[in-house]
Amino acid sequence: MRRFDMFVPENVGDLLQYLDTHQTGVYLIANGTDLVNRIQRKQVKPKTLVDLTGLQEFNYVRKENGRIKIGALTTVSELIASPLMDSPYDVFREVAMKFGGPSIINMATIGGNICSASSSEDLLPVLLVLEADVKVRSINGERTVPIEEFVKGKRTTGLRSNEILVETSFPELSANSICSFEKVGMRNSLIIAFVNCAVYLELEKQSKALNDVRIAFNRVTGKIPQRARQTEKTLKGQKLNEQSLTNAATTLRNELKLTSDFRVSEEYRMDVACAIFKRTLLRAAQKLTGEKIIV
Amino acid sequence: MSKHLLKFTVNGKSHALLVQSHERLLDVLRDRLGLKGTKEGCSTGDCGICAVLMNGKLVNSCLIFAIQARNKEIVTIEGIGTPENLHPLQRAFMKWNASQCGYCIPAMILASKQLLDRNPNPTDEDIRRATSGIICRCTGYVKIFEAIKTAAAEMKVKSR
Repeated sequence: MRRFDMFVPENVGDLLQYLDTHQTGVYLIANGTDLVNRIQRKQVKPKTLVDLTGLQEFNYVRKENGRIKIGALTTVSELIASPLMDSPYDVFREVAMKFGGPSIINMATIGGNICSASSSEDLLPVLLVLEADVKVRSINGERTVPIEEFVKGKRTTGLRSNEILVETSFPELSANSICSFEKVGMRNSLIIAFVNCAVYLELEKQSKALNDVRIAFNRVTGKIPQRARQTEKTLKGQKLNEQSLTNAATTLRNELKLTSDFRVSEEYRMDVACAIFKRTLLRAAQKLTGEKIIV
Repeated sequence: MSKHLLKFTVNGKSHALLVQSHERLLDVLRDRLGLKGTKEGCSTGDCGICAVLMNGKLVNSCLIFAIQARNKEIVTIEGIGTPENLHPLQRAFMKWNASQCGYCIPAMILASKQLLDRNPNPTDEDIRRATSGIICRCTGYVKIFEAIKTAAAEMKVKSR
């Protein structure tokens, strides 16, 4: 292991003070599921790591002012253990089933998953379709940024060097809306997705038409999770049936700009994306209506 | 490079030692405390071989820096049974010959312990899920799963 210093702040005030005056070669670390790997592979060469694990005031899941709020240091297993994650928020349990093995979900934090900002972060597509915000804090105060703006590119976020991410939150779901998540990798857990997909949908009570639909993938036009807005537009106002899904899949094929990598080819990634997009959408609709839609 | 005073509990025993920033929990357990039951595998969080229990939760000791374990309770394979008084999981693994090269077995047993501590009646799916973070390249897993089922049954009888 490469040598570096570790700064262990006693409280958040000390931490923000430190970050305000120390900026070169400083990396924030929670439980290290992503960062330690990158240090071992020499992709990251820290001079100092700042240990966040003592700041347990940022470990919470709560409902407040019409929003679900998740503290940045909440681990995936703590999140899904929260009673607030029962339906309609069980999408997070769907994510956790495919996120990693027990030790990884015991360690990986929500804030870490957001700030790592790679195309394989399973929580990002879900937070995108929930139109989540992130709250960041520095010695000068707090600001709130939509997650879509915060995640700027592969391994790039809007987090400034004197800031920490403290919370993500999203509006409570209405009775007519639901989310679902699907992921395909080489095996079921402990694997990095080559495609993942999250959907949010809101159905008109009587007609079951799609009042609103949001779709996000781990990759759309670049190597970061994004919304597939053209495909969303094709589906809005439609009912879920063979015709509307076929049209949507055609739009999706044009909208996705995928690439090949060491995991899979571009063509395979495209076919899988179109297949799991339908599956995720139909499962969401089924969860909401209790009726299985066969297409 | 700065040193930190690490105070924590390992297998019920309190320790206080000076650690360097880059020392991992795995290094301290093996090299400073001599607990060689915890093994090093991939060192990047992929194989799960170095798993230990931290405050009752399974974690990969290769990803945690030692100072991050301050004030925590760690349990390693050495802490769950002795040769004279084996844990039901250890007995069941022996009965089923669930260990071939043995390298992943400490982690497998701790992962199973985390499961059985929370869920005394696991389904086959629960068992697969609970051990899914640990890679065994010898056994094909079947004997491991059978051993966990045997241990679960034995522990249930005991707790009645």
